[in-house]
Amino acid sequence: MYRWIEHTGEVELEIDSDSEESVFADALDAVSELLRDADDEDFAGAAGPRLERTISLTAEDRARLLAAWLGELAFLAETEGLVPDGLSDLRVGNGVLDATVHGYESDPPHLIKAVTYHRLWFAPQRGRWRAHAVLDV
Amino acid sequence: MPVELTRVDEVLWEIPAAARADMRVPARIFADSELLDAIAEDDSLEQLQNVATLPGIVDAALAMPDIHQGYGFPVGTVAATEPPHGVISPGGVGYDINCGVRLLALPLTLAELGGRKERLVHELSRAIPAAAPRGAGGGLSPGELDAVLVDGPRSLLDEGLATHADVEHTESRGRLDGADPARVSQRARQRGAPQLGTMGSGNHFVEVQSVARVFDAAAASAFGLAEGQLTVLIHSGSRGLGHQVCTDYVRRMDAALAGHGIELPDRQLSCAPISSDDARAYRAAMAAAANFAWANRQVIAHRVRQAVRAVAGGAAADATRQVYDVAHNVAKIERHGGREVCVHRKGATRAFAAGSEEVPAAYRDVGQPVFIPGSMGTSSFVLVGRPPAMERSFGTVCHGAGRALSRTAARKRIGGAELRRQLEGAGITVRCPSNRGLAEEAPFAYKAVEKVVAVVERAGLAARVAELRPAGVVKG
Repeated sequence: MYRWIEHTGEVELEIDSDSEESVFADALDAVSELLRDADDEDFAGAAGPRLERTISLTAEDRARLLAAWLGELAFLAETEGLVPDGLSDLRVGNGVLDATVHGYESDPPHLIKAVTYHRLWFAPQRGRWRAHAVLDV
Repeated sequence: MPVELTRVDEVLWEIPAAARADMRVPARIFADSELLDAIAEDDSLEQLQNVATLPGIVDAALAMPDIHQGYGFPVGTVAATEPPHGVISPGGVGYDINCGVRLLALPLTLAELGGRKERLVHELSRAIPAAAPRGAGGGLSPGELDAVLVDGPRSLLDEGLATHADVEHTESRGRLDGADPARVSQRARQRGAPQLGTMGSGNHFVEVQSVARVFDAAAASAFGLAEGQLTVLIHSGSRGLGHQVCTDYVRRMDAALAGHGIELPDRQLSCAPISSDDARAYRAAMAAAANFAWANRQVIAHRVRQAVRAVAGGAAADATRQVYDVAHNVAKIERHGGREVCVHRKGATRAFAAGSEEVPAAYRDVGQPVFIPGSMGTSSFVLVGRPPAMERSFGTVCHGAGRALSRTAARKRIGGAELRRQLEGAGITVRCPSNRGLAEEAPFAYKAVEKVVAVVERAGLAARVAELRPAGVVKG
């Protein structure tokens, strides 16, 4: 589960999930929503061919791994027009992530410039997994 | 936590260094009471205090009246650090390295353009894409990209995409020295290679305007501006290449913080001593990205001239003159107060006064032009740098109106289609493919640019030269 938090200049993402892996899946859903621009009828039906990309990432800790994951999705959207809508073979552990991202080619009108380290956070809390990131759009 | 503010003068406020144990210098904010109330509503002031903790920061962490909450540095900040132990912070420049504005002056008035205005805006929207078209190849070859990274717009002279006059009327003549393409990652190159000449989305735009009012006839004459004249204001930056350079070096400096013995209140402030290898590498990559941004705005300017040619003829296109191009996200080594410092301008514009050799010869007697875009549908202002800026703000002023509402809040208040109708009703031709993107940039999402400009004028940092009223806008 994810939600967007008010931020004057950028967009701020908060994730609350039942497992560490689900945080990454929820992050993909959030990026997908941002890219799809569901409010914009001009782009609602602009789905192109199906795409699939295998991703391997490493980082110093969970929070930085989440930033790298979001950054990779932003990179694929900008360079390949990949709007993600699914995920398989997700494996996360010890600062390593492997996954296959599924989606379709499109012309997303709202790209993500970057994933910041401001308020970047990812930790277990009261039996849940919670994370937080600010995206520069 | 409430912030302790002391009023220094009519438009300057201070948070003393003693307000927090980790602050090395005070934080100072240029604002009037009304703007200060708005500024205090988000996290800007806490973020400004965080900037005041940077190792080697001198004088104060300074906020311009358009400051708003960002990440790491708030947007609208100036921070100078003293080498060799003072730091450089990639987050203090921002992801859109050398985001900036360029003003072109056309040799005709809005009245003379007459019924061709719609067509001009349409031609601009066709000529200047928001993003690189996919499947159209990789854009610049590796050699061409290297040339752009090293030489900026000068690399485009031989192709006829730039003129010597354009280069002369660009901050730093469109080239930061020390750029090294080898310090730019393959991923950054991959993002940037197809994007030269693209505008981007968000708050980037190309706007057709007319000079509605002249405040300073001498400066306006020096800048070649007269009442009624058509202008085109371009707002864009270094695109994905700059975004990736910042991403790469925030990550690198974050990993090296402990090694440099630096502790920070916010990871996004990651930095390294200016004399370190990490900083040298970043400066070389940042300079390359800045040069790319100047070249990007140069290609957009070329495309503006092509649109003018299509609508108003070759003579009008050839006489479309670049007034100036100035960055508002960059870090530069400059001399202030008799010492060399690294001035970070994050959402802040260099505004050097008359006499500086950094100001083009044609403007040296009046000062450097500065362009302050308003929000969409409202006026923009041409300012000129004044001597107090050199004493009070490291030769810097604001960069825009400054956001007041989040994007979500703006969308809740108006739909893009309705805003489009309102703007068209006000005589502003709009070309924007995204209703959401349009709504997020609604005029009420920003502070009143007139009030922001009034503060920098009352502070003596700059003076108004001309007001530019929008006639048409192209947005990504």
